[in-house]
Amino acid sequence: MFLSKIWFILIALVSAVAGTFALVAPRPAVQKLAVLEGQRLDRAQYAAEQMFKVDAHKWIDRVSKLGRDAILSESLDAASRGSGEYTVIHRTIQDRFRTLIPDLATGGIDEIVALDNKGRVIARVGGSDEKEYGDYIGGVEVVADALRGYLSDDVWGVGGRLERVAGAPVLSKGKDRIVGALYVGAETGPGLVERLKKNLDVDVALLLRGKVIASSRPAGELDALPEMVTQHSAEIAELKRTPALPLTVGQDKLLVVAAPFPGQAGEQQAYYALLGMQPAKTDLGALLSNVSSNDLKWGNFPWVPLALVTFAMIAVGLILQRVEVEAPLGKLRRELQKLAAGDLQKIDDSKYGGKYGGLARDLNAAVERFTHAPGARSEMAGKDLNAILGPSGGSTFDLPSAGSAFSGSTPAPAFNPPAAPAFSSPAAPSFPPPPPGGFAPPPLPSFAPPPAPSFSAPSLPQPFSAAGLGSSSPALPLPSSIKPAPWAQQLPADALDDGAAADRQMPEGEATRVVPYDLQEEEDAHFRHVFDDFVETKRSCGEPTAGLTQAKFLQKLRDNKSALVAKHACRTVRFSVYVKDGKAALRATPIRE
Amino acid sequence: MTLRTPSRVSFPAVSAALAFSLALAGGAPAWAGTLKGSVKLPESARSSRLYQGYWRLENGNVPVQNSGGAKLETAVVLQNVNGAHPPPARTVTVEIGGLDAHPRMVITGPGSVIEIKNTGKVRLDLSTPETPSVMPLEQLPPGATRRAKFDAIGGYAIHDAEYPHIMISVIIVDSPFFATADEKGSFSIAGVPDAKVHLKVWARGRWAAEEEVEGGSKEDLIVKVAAPGQKEAEKEAEKEAAE
Repeated sequence: MFLSKIWFILIALVSAVAGTFALVAPRPAVQKLAVLEGQRLDRAQYAAEQMFKVDAHKWIDRVSKLGRDAILSESLDAASRGSGEYTVIHRTIQDRFRTLIPDLATGGIDEIVALDNKGRVIARVGGSDEKEYGDYIGGVEVVADALRGYLSDDVWGVGGRLERVAGAPVLSKGKDRIVGALYVGAETGPGLVERLKKNLDVDVALLLRGKVIASSRPAGELDALPEMVTQHSAEIAELKRTPALPLTVGQDKLLVVAAPFPGQAGEQQAYYALLGMQPAKTDLGALLSNVSSNDLKWGNFPWVPLALVTFAMIAVGLILQRVEVEAPLGKLRRELQKLAAGDLQKIDDSKYGGKYGGLARDLNAAVERFTHAPGARSEMAGKDLNAILGPSGGSTFDLPSAGSAFSGSTPAPAFNPPAAPAFSSPAAPSFPPPPPGGFAPPPLPSFAPPPAPSFSAPSLPQPFSAAGLGSSSPALPLPSSIKPAPWAQQLPADALDDGAAADRQMPEGEATRVVPYDLQEEEDAHFRHVFDDFVETKRSCGEPTAGLTQAKFLQKLRDNKSALVAKHACRTVRFSVYVKDGKAALRATPIRE
Repeated sequence: MTLRTPSRVSFPAVSAALAFSLALAGGAPAWAGTLKGSVKLPESARSSRLYQGYWRLENGNVPVQNSGGAKLETAVVLQNVNGAHPPPARTVTVEIGGLDAHPRMVITGPGSVIEIKNTGKVRLDLSTPETPSVMPLEQLPPGATRRAKFDAIGGYAIHDAEYPHIMISVIIVDSPFFATADEKGSFSIAGVPDAKVHLKVWARGRWAAEEEVEGGSKEDLIVKVAAPGQKEAEKEAEKEAAE
């Protein structure tokens, strides 16, 4: 039982640890995944920044190349000098733009603008105000830079749109002076978002002045994003980007890294935000809901090791049960069956450990409690009896062996005669010797011996006197529970001892007469009863009873009783019938007191 | 050649001259001097642009002109000068055309009115974002004029929401001791009393630096301006180091 308990505790602990591990283990993994996702977004932001830089350089190169066009140069030179027809110059430059870049949309260009050296717009291509010209925009920094001789870029947030621009000066034909400037604008909206998502494999959103102006996620999902980014504007100003920030969008949990656009759009809260998915939840429901059928396939799940471990655990548990519970229980049961059959006198409790050993000991104690341990002399007497009597009609006489469930120092209750003190001296009543250890003595009737009239027993049978009860026995003490028989009242008064009668203070006419205890008669009744039992037992065992007469049987019992009494100096002998090896047998029990 | 004997000067005349000299000395402090120095802007603030993109390259053929623009919007102002009186209030007109403001910086006394005329072709959305109560966001259509009164001492940056590069710096001073920095960042303020004064530097639409200086110092003063965010970062670094 001990190992079984340990095993069950072990299994419970392993199960608890496994359950804990199953629930806790994903958490660090999820946290790690969140960190990795944040790092992925960081890298994506870096990549996006590099992409914007490359784009800016590409646009600067392109507009610079446009500025080297001779027709454009000459036209702007003329416009700056004020020579030539202004409208003609305007058209010339427009046509030239369209010739050089037939399809602006394919090139990703939103508009191209040519300016003279004072910052006046000479011509526009693309955009909503293509037909307008003549306005001054020299204050625009990228234009002013171009007119100073710089090639530069900028990002504008104009009209609710983001526009990346690149400007370059236009040099004279002799490349000795600046005759004007060009700038190109690239629309920065859904097209850029799509391209970023494709290149970076993350969702992208563009923000301008607290609004999402373009996003790769459905419209309205990211309404909380501008406010969240605004709250981290200080971090953005310092680090030029935010750390990975959690953002809940419906059922999705996102991570967001936002960074500002450079240029004057940065002053207009223009940001690009890269959005990644946060790892799934780690609770049990989320873990189970995320399990797919693919996860349970043979190749993906260790079914065989799991089954082996499970079967091994079950086998160990069953083996332990078998070894510690079933085997000793079966063994005990078999021993009990043997004990019941009389093949065993007691259970060998030393063979059992733990509670089964205790159970065996308890059983032994219980058996011994209801039986009597035979003394050495009784055993000897039993053996002698067997030797003397021998088989009787195929049956044997036997004495209970020591330790048997049927052994005992006192006669079996069925054959226990009334207590002998009836014939003992009331002054010195004798009691049975104390039983062996563990036995509680049968309660003796406690009574004060009444001043029963002692009587002479001239007619006592011989066995009675042979049993040591002579006329010297002063009186026959009777227990108070024993009522005198009705016929006892008819005994003549002279049957009572005179002295005793004189001592008695009985009312006249109410003298109690006690019937003397006839040992011989009682013994005859016992022998007859034994005979009846013996015959009945033989019949029940299927043994023949022919030739078995009561007279012979009784005579044999008397003879053997006399021999045993003489040999073992006991007062009398009691016989009992039992079945031994399928045959009726007699057991003799010497009675010493 | 005749030598002219010196004429006798009458005592009352001498006394009157002496009294006038003393009175003159008492009215214009004899210890007043000129505060000279230069403002060292950070590398990123030395550009003529307020807002930088990713790239700014020279064309390689024609020398670039790295002058004007935001570089000229640096002013040095002395505050808390004893006995100094603020300049009188006046109305200053600023024209915005061609997506640029002229002038870009106005330094005047309390109660002055800035009159902004939109001479360009685009609508403007002007305001003082840091102090919206002075000049809330309001549209200014082409050809329209907007006036705003500046009563409190301090610096104000008027921005256009659509074109942030259009910025007008308005500095209301409490003394006549101020100057604008030139292309190299040099400045000179005359008549500064020989006492401790509070010097503040306005650059790129904000107070960029301030310190206590001796007004009578004859040495050139060098005022270093930290890059935006650098001062806070340095303070945080010092705090962390102290912890």
